Amino acid sequence: MRLRLPLFLVTGFGVALLLQYFIPLPAGQAFYSRALEWMQVIFAAGLLLGGANFARLHLKRAATRKDERPYSLLALAALATMLVAGAVSIGRDSTFLWLFDNLQAPMQQTVFSLLAFFVATAAYRGFRLRSVESGLLLSVALIVMIGRIPVGELISPVLPQAASWLVDVPAVAAKRGILIGVGLGSVAVSLRVILGVERAWLGGSQ
Amino acid sequence: MKLPALDRRALYVLLFLAVALPLLFPIGLVGSVSKSTRQFHRLIESLQPGDVILISFDCEAASWAEIGPVARAVILHAMKRDLRIVGTSFLSEGTALGYRLLSELATEHGKSYGEDWAYLGFRPQYVAAMLGLGESIIREYPKDYLEQPAESLPIFAGVQSYRQIKLVISIADDSMPQYWVEYAGGRHGVPIAAGLSAVMLTTFTPYLDSHQLVGLVSGLKGAAEYEQLLGVTGAGTRGMDAQSSAHLAIIVLVVVGNAIYFRGRRKS
Repeated sequence: MRLRLPLFLVTGFGVALLLQYFIPLPAGQAFYSRALEWMQVIFAAGLLLGGANFARLHLKRAATRKDERPYSLLALAALATMLVAGAVSIGRDSTFLWLFDNLQAPMQQTVFSLLAFFVATAAYRGFRLRSVESGLLLSVALIVMIGRIPVGELISPVLPQAASWLVDVPAVAAKRGILIGVGLGSVAVSLRVILGVERAWLGGSQ
Repeated sequence: MKLPALDRRALYVLLFLAVALPLLFPIGLVGSVSKSTRQFHRLIESLQPGDVILISFDCEAASWAEIGPVARAVILHAMKRDLRIVGTSFLSEGTALGYRLLSELATEHGKSYGEDWAYLGFRPQYVAAMLGLGESIIREYPKDYLEQPAESLPIFAGVQSYRQIKLVISIADDSMPQYWVEYAGGRHGVPIAAGLSAVMLTTFTPYLDSHQLVGLVSGLKGAAEYEQLLGVTGAGTRGMDAQSSAHLAIIVLVVVGNAIYFRGRRKS
C-alpha cells in the first residue's frame, strides 16, 4: 500500500492534467485551478519542512560537536534573526531589507566574485597550445574574450563579428542539440513516472 | 610540463587592479549595439504608455552585480515610457533585490505605488504560480509584497490575468525564462522577454530565434548597450570598463603562460 498509493496518485494526477490540457472542459479547468493551489500548498509545506530540518540539524550539531558549535549557533541565530525581521516588516526601510542589503547580498557577491580569480589562474595554467584541438579552443576563447569587449572593436571591426558568429552559430548549435535532447529526455522520464515504470523517486530500493 | 613558479598572489593582484582601477577611474568604453539589445529596446518602445508589463526577478544576490544593471536599464526605459510595472519573484533573494530596485527607480521618477507600479513579492512554486497568473492574478497573489490586498491597488483594475499583460520580462541568472516560455508563453500566449547573465546567452538564443522569446538582453555588455540606447551612463557602462580590462588581463596571462610553456619546452 505504501508503494501503490503514491503510484496511483501520480498516475491519476498525471493522466488527468495531461487530458485536461488537450480536452479543455469546464470541469477539467476547475480541477486544474485547484491542482495549482495544491501545488503551492505542498511546496510551502516543503519549505517549512526544510527550515525545520535545518534548525534540527544545527541544534543537534551544536549540542554534540564542540568544534562545529560556533558555526551552527551562528546559522541558527541568522535563521532566527531573518525570520523575526521578516515577520515584523519587509518594507523599504525595514530591518529585514537592511540585513539583506548589507549582510546577505554582499557576502554572496563576495563569494561569487572569487570566481574571477579562479578563472584567471585557471586560464594561466590551463590554456596551453599543446595540440590542434587545444589550439582551436585557445583561439576561440581569445577571439570571444576580446571580441565581446569594446577594445576588440577598436582593434578591428572583424573581431566583434567573429565573436558574435562563434557565440551565435557553433555555440548555439551545440546548445540547441543539448536542449532538444533534454526536452526529449524530460518527456520520456515524465511518461515513465506517470506510467509507473520509473520508481526511483519513491526513494529507498523501490 | 610544469610551469615556473609564479606566485598566484601576483595573478590575484593583477586581476584585482584590472577590475578595481577602471571602476575608480572610468574610461567610458562603448561598443556597437547588438541586434538583440536593439530588438529589446524596440519592443519596449512599441508598447503604449499605460500598458502593463510584468517583471519577474528570478535571480540571486550573487549575480546581481551583473544582472542588476540589465534590470535597471530595462526598468528605467519602461518607466520613461510610462508603462505600468507589476513586479514579482520566484526566487527568495530576487524578491528583495527587485523590490529595492523598483522602489528606488519609482521614487526617482515620481511613480506612485499601486497606480504606476506594484510588487507582488515571492511565490515559492514557480510552475504553479506562472500557470496561476494565467487564471487570475488576484487569486494567485491575494496580497502584495507589503501585505496590502492586491484587489485594492488601482493598477489591477481591469488587469485580471496574462490577457491584459503586454509583456513578461524575466530578469534571470538561471533557466527560469525557459519555464516562462513553457508555461506562460506556451499555454497563455503572453510575450516573454529575458534579461540574462552573459553565461546564459547561448542557452536562450535558440528561443529568440524561434520567437518564443521576443527580446533578450544579456550581461554587462547588454546593459551597457541598453544604456547607450537610452543615452545614460550607468552601472552597465562602468562595469564594461572593468570587464574589458579583466578580459585583457586574462588574455595577457594566457599569452605569458604559453610563452613560458614554449620556452621551457625548447630548453628541455
